[in-house]
Amino acid sequence: MSESALFTAAFVLYILSAFVYLSFLMSGKEKGARTALALAVAGLVAHTAALIVRTVESGHAPFTNMYESLSFLSWAMVLAYVLIGRRLPIPRIGAYIMLLVVALVALASSPLMPKEAAPLVPALQSYWLWLHVSVTLLGEAFFAVAFVAAIFYLRAKTEEKRQAMDAVSYRCVAVGFPLFTLGGLVFGMVWAYKAWGTYWSWDPKEVWSLITWFVFALYLHTRIVMGWKGRRSALVAIIGFLAALFTYFGVNYLLAGLHSYA
Amino acid sequence: MKSLWQFFASVKLAIVLLILLAVASIIGTLIPQGLAPAAYEAHYGQLAGLLMRLRFTGLYHSLWFLALLLLLAANTIVCTLSRLPAKWRRAFRSASGETTLSSVLAMKIKGRFGRNAPAASVASDIGAALASRHYSVSSKPGGDRTVLLARKRRLGHFGSDTVHLGLLVILAGGLVSGLGGFRTQLALSEGETAQVPQAPFAVRLDKFETEYYPQGAIKDWKSTVTVVEGGRPVRKGIIEVNHPLSFGGFSFYQTSYGWDWSKPRLEVVITKTGDPAFSRTVRVGVGQRVPVEDKDVTEIGVVRFVPDFVIGEGNTVQTRSEAPNNPAALIEGWKGEEKVFTGWVFANFPDFTQMHSGPETDLHFVLKSYEAPQYSVLEAARDPGVVLIWAGCVLITGGFFLAFYWPPREIRAVLEQSGSRTEAALGGHAGKNREAFEAEFENLIDALRRS
Repeated sequence: MSESALFTAAFVLYILSAFVYLSFLMSGKEKGARTALALAVAGLVAHTAALIVRTVESGHAPFTNMYESLSFLSWAMVLAYVLIGRRLPIPRIGAYIMLLVVALVALASSPLMPKEAAPLVPALQSYWLWLHVSVTLLGEAFFAVAFVAAIFYLRAKTEEKRQAMDAVSYRCVAVGFPLFTLGGLVFGMVWAYKAWGTYWSWDPKEVWSLITWFVFALYLHTRIVMGWKGRRSALVAIIGFLAALFTYFGVNYLLAGLHSYA
Repeated sequence: MKSLWQFFASVKLAIVLLILLAVASIIGTLIPQGLAPAAYEAHYGQLAGLLMRLRFTGLYHSLWFLALLLLLAANTIVCTLSRLPAKWRRAFRSASGETTLSSVLAMKIKGRFGRNAPAASVASDIGAALASRHYSVSSKPGGDRTVLLARKRRLGHFGSDTVHLGLLVILAGGLVSGLGGFRTQLALSEGETAQVPQAPFAVRLDKFETEYYPQGAIKDWKSTVTVVEGGRPVRKGIIEVNHPLSFGGFSFYQTSYGWDWSKPRLEVVITKTGDPAFSRTVRVGVGQRVPVEDKDVTEIGVVRFVPDFVIGEGNTVQTRSEAPNNPAALIEGWKGEEKVFTGWVFANFPDFTQMHSGPETDLHFVLKSYEAPQYSVLEAARDPGVVLIWAGCVLITGGFFLAFYWPPREIRAVLEQSGSRTEAALGGHAGKNREAFEAEFENLIDALRRS
């Protein structure tokens, strides 16, 4: 199957999953949550195949322009949700995760995003492209799940649900923050040193990664040392995700810099 | 002194500093950094002076930003040190005779069992069961009470400290880079040698190539270089983007390239209106004259060449860039020693050619090709801070692993013997990942009860 057919199949499965999750939210029937998860996993499989086909056809990592990196980020979000969902009972946030994924995939599919796989410019020809981008986006995907759980926390009506969402949010940050640090900052510095001759140049993307890092450092310190849990912690997680989103997306369109790939 | 220590031992200070650093960093991405004063005046008007005085225009290299970082460093050191002794005791203290049966049974995770055996034998059974679960056991046998203290993954206590140490090492690396680092750019044409400043060697560019994809996009730039020391070649290598060459404490990076347009090799085709048989192709450089066999014009010469023609201020010809986007040559025609015309010839606009300053000529010129020697720009950098940066990165990564995925565990056991019977109580403590620990603890108690 072609990449675009697989990608479309994943898109359709994600939409179906989001719908079934939404109807599960209304009805509360456990069976609905299981069906929705199965649809999300099926979408993930199709999406994985699409990424593999694209990698084979283009001969390079599937995240070198905005279309590719949006596609990879939405893939990573579904993966993060499925992985976290194996450890914690979180079918209720599934609907919002899948809606966010559908929005990202729709954005990737829009005519705004050129889809041609262009040959790699010299600066991107490095195995660090794989390590730096995939690990960073995976970390950001966990931030996205933490964000959705934090929103749910603020909207939850019972203490039991709030506690569950607080735990999910923290668990996601506990996975996402080390990944983001390793992929975004550590691997980023190593690659910058190899490609540009300097590990840090205060480029806007670097600075915004650092700002995101500061926010999640705040999250951990206020939580672990100062005992912030619940509402205030949820707000910090939301700000952290927004900073990560701006690092990923806003910097490219609003601030000029060295990092003008995707 | 004590109050200064307390000031820096506060986590609230860390939070304030992190917020200030985040806000400052945001400001630095909103105001363009490192431009000329005139650019700020044009953009910000009266505000420009204030922004420059506050160093908002070179924010990340300003003293106040550095001061914030140093405050955070001091804060991190004091906070970490003030919490370290307690953690150290927790991880490495020995079993204490003061631990009692009731104190263990007051722990959240606990269990007890009794056996008709002496305390020493039960203690050795418990010790063996714990050791087989990778606990290291410290024991304190007493007259009527034996205490065991078993721990594993003790390094997990020091995850955050390791991350903090890593950050401090990175900050130190940044200071070393800033103070002791040196970088410069070397622009070299093929065959040219440049002395590397502050180094006892020179670099010669042997070959410079640009590789293209079949579709025409640039694939790579490759500089083949030789390092020359004391007149002798000591190292040969190829420098590509993402593949620097290291020698003698320096690293050499492929950063840019360009053309030396002061020495172009041009090819001009000359035709004549009304004489289809007349066609000459001449090769000419800037400042050269070449003969043309014609009755009105005996020689032509090229006075000037620009790669990217534009009419700039004061109606003068300038080049917009060093890229050959709009190559143009200023051509003169001579009849003997009399200049008969001058005019610009455009490679991309052959019909636009205008000849003026003199009688009209019936000759027509086309700039058929233009070439210039390419040069390669290499960055030579010596950065003694890099080693610290990588060491800090390793510490941070390891520290995160310890903090989140290496949860320390502790089990205390107290045994009291009365007559031939021994009563044992076990209590467990886990800061993180408690569910998994509870399962392990249950399993341990079950095994001890059964044996």
